[in-house]
Amino acid sequence: MADKQNPETGGQATVTLTIDGLTVTVPRGYTVLEAARSIGINIPTFCWHPKLKPVGACRICYVEIEKFPKLQVSCATVAMDGMVVHTNTDQVKNGRRAVLEFILLNHPLDCPTCDKGGECDLQNLTFAHGLDDSRFAFQKYRFVDDDMTTTFDDKRIGPEIILNRNRCILCYKCVRANKEAFGEYDLGAYERGNITEINAAPGRQVANPFSGNLVEICPVGALTNTDWRYKIRVWLTKTTPSICNFSSSGTNILFYKEDHKNKIYRVTSRRNDDIDDGWLADITRYSYQVITSDERLIKPLIKKEGKQVPATWEEALEVIKKRLNEIKDKKGGVCIGGLASPSLDNASLYSFAKFLRRTFNSNKLDYRQDYRMLPKDTANNYSILASQPFKIAGIDDSDVIVTFATDLLREHQNEYLRVRKAFNFKKARIFVANPYAVKTADVAELEMVYKVGTDEIFINAVCLAALEENLVACPDRADLKKKIKPSSLKDAAEQCGVAPETIKIMARALAEGKKVTFIAGELLTRCRDREIIASALCNLNRLFGLNRKGQIAVLARYANSMGAVKLGISPEPVPALKKELEKIWSGLPDTEAYNTDTMLVHMKKEEINGFIIMGANPVMLYPDREFVKESLEKLDFLVVCDLYETETTALADVVLPLAGWAEYAGDYINLEGCRQHAEQALKPRFEAYPGYEILEMIADKFEKKLFSSTEERESEIDRLLKVDTTLPWPDGFVEVKTAEIEIEKDYPLALFLCDDPHHCGHLTEKANSLVNFCGEAYIEMAEEQARAYNLNEGDSVRLESPIGKIIVPLKISEHLDNQVVLVPRNFTSHPVTSLLMRKRRIDWVRISKVAE
Amino acid sequence: MFYSPVITNAAEAVKNEKLHLFRFVEDSEQVKIGTYEAHGGYQAWKKALTSMQPAQIVEEVKKSGLRGRGGAGFPTGMKWSFIPKDSPKPRYLICNADESEPGTCKDRVLMERDPHAVIEGMAIAAYAIGCHRMFIYIRGEFNHSIIRLETAVKEAYAHKHLGKNIYGTGYDLDMVVHSGGGAYICGEETALLNSLEGERGMSRIRPPFPAIEGLYACPTIVNNVETLASVPHIINRGADWYRTLGTEKSSGTKIFSLSGHVKRPGNYEVELGFNLKKLIYDPAYGGGILGDKKIKGVIPGGSSTPFLKADMLDVNLDYESLAQAGSMLGSGAVIVFHEDTCIVWVILKLIHFYRHESCGKCTPCREGTGWLEQIIGRIEAGGGKPGDIELIEDVCGNILGRTICPLGDAAVMPIQSAIKHWRDEWQFHIDNKKCMVKTNFEFR
Ligand SMILES: Cc1cc2nc3c(=O)[nH]c(=O)nc-3n(C[C@H](O)[C@H](O)[C@H](O)COP(=O)(O)O)c2cc1C
Ligand code: SF4
Ligand code: SF4
Ligand code: FES
Repeated sequence: MADKQNPETGGQATVTLTIDGLTVTVPRGYTVLEAARSIGINIPTFCWHPKLKPVGACRICYVEIEKFPKLQVSCATVAMDGMVVHTNTDQVKNGRRAVLEFILLNHPLDCPTCDKGGECDLQNLTFAHGLDDSRFAFQKYRFVDDDMTTTFDDKRIGPEIILNRNRCILCYKCVRANKEAFGEYDLGAYERGNITEINAAPGRQVANPFSGNLVEICPVGALTNTDWRYKIRVWLTKTTPSICNFSSSGTNILFYKEDHKNKIYRVTSRRNDDIDDGWLADITRYSYQVITSDERLIKPLIKKEGKQVPATWEEALEVIKKRLNEIKDKKGGVCIGGLASPSLDNASLYSFAKFLRRTFNSNKLDYRQDYRMLPKDTANNYSILASQPFKIAGIDDSDVIVTFATDLLREHQNEYLRVRKAFNFKKARIFVANPYAVKTADVAELEMVYKVGTDEIFINAVCLAALEENLVACPDRADLKKKIKPSSLKDAAEQCGVAPETIKIMARALAEGKKVTFIAGELLTRCRDREIIASALCNLNRLFGLNRKGQIAVLARYANSMGAVKLGISPEPVPALKKELEKIWSGLPDTEAYNTDTMLVHMKKEEINGFIIMGANPVMLYPDREFVKESLEKLDFLVVCDLYETETTALADVVLPLAGWAEYAGDYINLEGCRQHAEQALKPRFEAYPGYEILEMIADKFEKKLFSSTEERESEIDRLLKVDTTLPWPDGFVEVKTAEIEIEKDYPLALFLCDDPHHCGHLTEKANSLVNFCGEAYIEMAEEQARAYNLNEGDSVRLESPIGKIIVPLKISEHLDNQVVLVPRNFTSHPVTSLLMRKRRIDWVRISKVAE
Repeated sequence: MFYSPVITNAAEAVKNEKLHLFRFVEDSEQVKIGTYEAHGGYQAWKKALTSMQPAQIVEEVKKSGLRGRGGAGFPTGMKWSFIPKDSPKPRYLICNADESEPGTCKDRVLMERDPHAVIEGMAIAAYAIGCHRMFIYIRGEFNHSIIRLETAVKEAYAHKHLGKNIYGTGYDLDMVVHSGGGAYICGEETALLNSLEGERGMSRIRPPFPAIEGLYACPTIVNNVETLASVPHIINRGADWYRTLGTEKSSGTKIFSLSGHVKRPGNYEVELGFNLKKLIYDPAYGGGILGDKKIKGVIPGGSSTPFLKADMLDVNLDYESLAQAGSMLGSGAVIVFHEDTCIVWVILKLIHFYRHESCGKCTPCREGTGWLEQIIGRIEAGGGKPGDIELIEDVCGNILGRTICPLGDAAVMPIQSAIKHWRDEWQFHIDNKKCMVKTNFEFR
């Protein structure tokens, strides 16, 4: 197994043993259970879990091993050379039956009313091995709390979890997963002996961002989620394999659906060790409700006399044709642009780009709806960094891991778990550097909170530490000092506010590490000066040779951000890609290319007049909401396709209902560049169509078919995906410019936009379960800060920037300890982007208490 | 200063050179570091640290034949030698002072009355295994022990027996006094480790053994208070001297906590191999049975060990003899029951304890002890059914040897022996819905 705890047992790499007369050779460190399973011998288990440390608690997995006087638990016994194991002797069977008898003593046997019925390990094992009669002649123990009104011990312990302690068999998988895999302590075991119970920690709710997994791994019906329970029996559903649409890892999932109702009932994991280890973030688990919600757009809308009214598809398409043609004829196709969501599938994204480029000869298109001032082309260090190869599973076997400018728990939950795993199971050394404290730090050897706006200086300081301490052998290292300012560790450390000694420890770890994973994240991508920081990172990479002994990358953020890059949805695709596109389409438009920001500026100047948005919501997500709105309002014609009516569709002349990812089959490229397929689970609801079909329908109206067939489309995509889009590292050290950071008088706090750990982007607000975890925006700040403003948890706070203000409740942070505030961007009711200025490095704000 | 009023044979120890553990326990000044030093205290620690190599100490303790006094009787020197020599991780020594085994109250006497002896023994053991931070995990209810130890540790720092650069050798050693979580299971060494780490006190599966991966996954040695308190004497007077005490295979002295229906319950330090009957009847020790009644049976090594019947009492108190008699030395808590005791009632009290204290981790112990309590409870209450004895035996068999930690075994071994020795009495209870003996004697 990839994640054995103790690989250094030495000696040979394998052991050979006999199980039920069969000889089997397995890697050293395998347990007897794993060895048996590897040759198809099934041993029952309750408490064993492939991704958790064995505890040997339930004792159902007994085997007999010759020369061992007692029965052994196979899940916790390491296979040794020459062992002779029996899994089915009378002694084993008796032992197993005794355990089942013990477990069933106080088990309610309420299978007919239990939601786990049909997929319960206990039910299954009892049928296979149990006694058909009970020797237990006592009243079964019943858990009851004073405030319970029914005889069922149904207890809500979290926004989405119901606990029934009577059914619990105390395998401790939930508690262990919470602790070992997620680092959460909101669930625990209480009391002792046979009244031991699982419960929420006193005064707390089980509401961590991975809480849904606890339900999934519970072998019985002790933990159930509210979205699924009592809605349908598992045997009445069918499953469809799919991919999470709200993470860039492309976590593998299964939809449980019912065809007649055309409805999804729940999501479970579809374990893929290379990607997700079988753990799902709650966002992944509950975001199917974005599709099943009743608020979906039903029909196309057309603006008539200033009001959007329902229309037929045919009417809508006709209007689109007429209006876009008018613009094309009057002003030229290049006055038409588009913005597509990076969560769309390959086919939709590719059709989008092809439509705009081929029909209108326009290079004014982008897939980036939320990052200010992104470069339009790839001739820059940021793009180099973003194009580097990365393996999620590669995090596991790194001995040194650095997370920089990222709050993994809010951006990359899957990778967050991997980092924890590397620490818990492989004892990797973790270093966390960010302008504010993040939760990843609780597995970190060192957490470095550098001063706001000094990201590049911090990285320079790490380089300088390596030079001054003579830690690296890079031949041209002497050149580096000329490219960076300041040029001594002491000065750089002082500027970024991290102790030089601390920086030296990290530099030493980077130098000594055998395999280093360096992850940069959204704080870099989001930052206006990303190019400066990326340049510093290129130097860091060169100095320590990180890419040669590991991996360094800025991680893609959305389900198909990588697909968008690899299919050329940006204004200026990578040169290699352009060449291929030119071949496929026999020519490419050579008109001016604009990124999102430039497009918005030119809309405002009325130089872009027609615009198509697919799945994106720039009004909600792009900095400076007023500016975005004004720009879009200046358009002559705006088409928006989305699942819902949004702030952006409100401005549209035509709104088209878009199908969600579960409603069509599609491919997505995850942050590793791995192409994954999501099957169609539902028929598109109401009158929605997938993006690629909508584009084909529009193209039809222009009598310029995009593709002669699906096969043609797919073969074009295949050709593009073969192009290597990795950009070469710079030849030598590069100059790291000095950033100009505006200070805003009277606005002393730095605001960082974020996602709530239960939300991602603008759509998850439609998923009820996720809203149950968090349904409202907040401002999160350090306790000390709050006290300085005389604020308490829950107080209404006025948050002001030079250009706007919002009023949000205060949340006191468990992690933050400096002068920053975090505000989630996921809530329509509190549009934080109205506070952000387009061209700023730091978003300065001030706060005040709102009088009651 | 407060003393728990417990009878000891300290007076005998003052006269008898061999009884080293109890020599000063009736001296109310002994808790003060000055007195302890005047009595030769901390000489062994100084000797060990300034003139012996760690390996030499381990050898010496191995040679002495000292075995763990916490219950399992594992050879102490050998345990220490399991610490990996080349591990870069820190090592930890933990003194197990969670003393909660019913009947056992010897560690408390040592901690309350001779705390520096415990610290000194710990220091030597710590040095022997290369530990620079040691812990004593004291049962939460033992307020006086905790205060005593905290005071003593402060004194030891002030007198530079602990802290930095001890005796100018460059060796640093710190000590932490930790108040326990208040559960019997926290005395089990792996549950203790969890508890000390701030987790729920639940046993861990072995391997890995604590010596390889213990506290914070670092090499760790857990030893009982009495075990560690014996170490300074071995260092001072040598392993050869220690071997002259006790029997060939069970060397040294041992404190027995005598309780139950005896006239003089108390703690008695005797050489291993001491006769059980003598311990119970000799006026210098137990002084005979309350009301001069007959003995029914004895638990010789704490509530977790099998009963000895009245006709088995002519046995010597050492590891081998007791094993031969079908029981165990355990923690050395001798509990005596006289003829009027209802065995079913005794077992009900015991199984209630184990059911309540089971950590809840493994199925057989958690569920089995609960079921046993219910079956035994109904027999005791006059509701026993035919077949109940066989059912108890079967359930016991499904627990014995099937659990993570020895608590499961501890819960069933006394039951199995009680059925073996007094089966007729169990049967009578079931058949006649009442007790064979006249009274249910509430013992103090
Ligand atoms: C349920 C249970 C409770 C125990 N309680 C104690 C205790 O209170 N004190 C103690 O020293 N050992 C106790 N032990 C034994 C310890 O696990 C361990 O063996 C001992 O501390 C080792 O020290 P020693 O080698 O010096 O005897 C207990 C064991 C079990 C299974
Ligand atoms: S609630 Fe479920 S997962 Fe948790 S211990 Fe009980 S049975 Fe196991
Ligand atoms: S035997 Fe009992 S006390 Fe020991 S681990 Fe199992 S349940 Fe816990
Ligand atoms: S599966 Fe092995 S003890 Fe539970």
